[in-house]
Amino acid sequence: MRRLGSWRLVEYSSTAIEVAGSVAAGIAVGGAILALLGYDPVKGLSLLILGGFRDVDYLLSRATFIMMTGLSFAIPMLAGFFNIGAEGMMYLGGLVALVVAVYTGNAAVALVLGSLAGAALGLLIAALKVFRGVNEVITAIMLNWTLHYVVIYLVTARFYDPLAPHESVKVPKGARLGVMDVAGGRLHVIFLVSLAAVALAYYLLYFTRLGYEIRVSGLSPKSAKYAGISPRRAVLNSMALGGLFAGLSGALNVLGFMYYIDNLLTSMAGMGFDGIGVALMGRNNPLGIAFSSVFFSMLILGGQTMQIVMNAPKEVADTLSGIIVIALSLPYAYRMLVSYLRTRRLVRGD
Amino acid sequence: MIEEVADLGLLALTSMVPLLLGAVGEIVSERAGVVNIGIEGMFLLSALTSVIAEYYTGNLALSLLVGVATGVCVGVLHGAISVYLRGDQIVAGVGVNLFAYGVGVVSLITIWGTFGNSPSVPTIPKFMVLGRPISPMVPASILIAVGTWYLLFKTNTGLRIRACGEDPRAAEAMGVKVLRLRFLSVLYGAALAGLGGAYLSIDWVGQFTKEIAAGRGFIALANVAFSGWNPVVAIAGAYVFGVFDALAIHLSIVSMQPALAYLFKTIPYLGTLAVVVAFVRRARMPSSLGKPYIKE
Repeated sequence: MRRLGSWRLVEYSSTAIEVAGSVAAGIAVGGAILALLGYDPVKGLSLLILGGFRDVDYLLSRATFIMMTGLSFAIPMLAGFFNIGAEGMMYLGGLVALVVAVYTGNAAVALVLGSLAGAALGLLIAALKVFRGVNEVITAIMLNWTLHYVVIYLVTARFYDPLAPHESVKVPKGARLGVMDVAGGRLHVIFLVSLAAVALAYYLLYFTRLGYEIRVSGLSPKSAKYAGISPRRAVLNSMALGGLFAGLSGALNVLGFMYYIDNLLTSMAGMGFDGIGVALMGRNNPLGIAFSSVFFSMLILGGQTMQIVMNAPKEVADTLSGIIVIALSLPYAYRMLVSYLRTRRLVRGD
Repeated sequence: MIEEVADLGLLALTSMVPLLLGAVGEIVSERAGVVNIGIEGMFLLSALTSVIAEYYTGNLALSLLVGVATGVCVGVLHGAISVYLRGDQIVAGVGVNLFAYGVGVVSLITIWGTFGNSPSVPTIPKFMVLGRPISPMVPASILIAVGTWYLLFKTNTGLRIRACGEDPRAAEAMGVKVLRLRFLSVLYGAALAGLGGAYLSIDWVGQFTKEIAAGRGFIALANVAFSGWNPVVAIAGAYVFGVFDALAIHLSIVSMQPALAYLFKTIPYLGTLAVVVAFVRRARMPSSLGKPYIKE
């Protein structure tokens, strides 16, 4: 880990090539779509890529949420488990944080309970797989949709704001994470919280027994068993952590950025899935994820800038990240797939 | 009461079609060893292209064909990635879903200038059963399921397909062209997913909406596991999951409180999850599922 041997240099350069190649593929297809729709692709793409920087605070705040959902995908993936449920965990974390903040007025309690709610959901998905053999993709997607509608129901029918019927009750002033002044500009505090969470994830993964067990089980469940590590326990732990970070993402969204949940969940929808691209591009490494989350945030805000300036649909940014994810599935993911499948077989116990 | 149950039973026939087509196609693909979790994205894309085709030509048969062709195009991409390029099949599927969502919204905005749904188009003519309209796609999808079962379990080709998913190395030794057969199986699955997507828009709903798939691609995936990778059992599965869907639609309509409709909408997802948790343990998946085959 610490010595930069020549093999590591080779690995880093191949990483750089794969990431650059995927981004190039995404940009090429994005440009083609813009051209097909009759917009100037050069102007559109430059707005898409650079337009996000018009508001650095917004760029980093938005990166916060997908940085956390990125961790939520990456940590289970390191244990060989595919977590596609960050979306639902984020909704749940946001809802619990809102309700707790409203009743206790305490931001810290709301943050912790919101994260723990996500962790509980993560454990449920992992437990159904480990103990009942239920495919985690199916469980996670069904729970995503269920929570989508349950949260919308609660926001519409139980916790609505009488003065603004499309919004939930507001987080009380005393329980909000605020905005600070930095070098003449503003910065939402949640960005610093997310950096602390990245540092925590890095520490847990690379400097504790818990993280060691997760990584060994993902790389080789057989050797893990031989060394007395239970791959099943590693999967459960990794999903508890994954759920924790996705829950935190929702809690930060509500407590430190929106201060309410809207009745269509627009402030959170899609961020769980964006986390998959973030994690893949960041190579499932917390430090890489910190950077790639800013990159994806840049694309999303760039799409909005492009829409304002050229009247081109901002969802071109979504097609672009889809292509990037497809391209990232190719060379790198091959190694991960092998370890993922190995664990899957051992976890199922055959 | 009896009237309502009959209504529900017939409505379930309508909602079972995409769940059945998606699952039957995916069973062939998975029997050959390739997972595709991009069925949802395929549903979306073909629902979109078939509405576009009908909007401009007014030709239903052609539009259905355009939907199938769209599925096949995405299948070529997924097949190339998972069979020949040895990519991560699950990640590629996620990418397809993200891409499809983006394309759906972008197309709505650029073609019709709307954000949620396309204009309405005429749907496939229905025939009457017990005084209620039923699409010809209902019997058609059941026939496709039975035909696919025959293909998989009663023909030499089916044996070869299953060998690719169980033990590709042995299959290759017996003279099966594993890579090519896997690729073709992915295309077969993609074509049926394309048909399912076209059904959603130009037969059932009569327009394209950006949430038209609504997780049905994943319910189809659940049906694959539920069926134990058997297309005939998948008919029963699709009907059971279709009942949940029909129940959600029915209750949303009859309930007086609009907010409650959101809770009813969770029925298909919770019901699917409950069925899968209760039944799936008995199923055994193809042993080489999801693993790229590396030719020596």
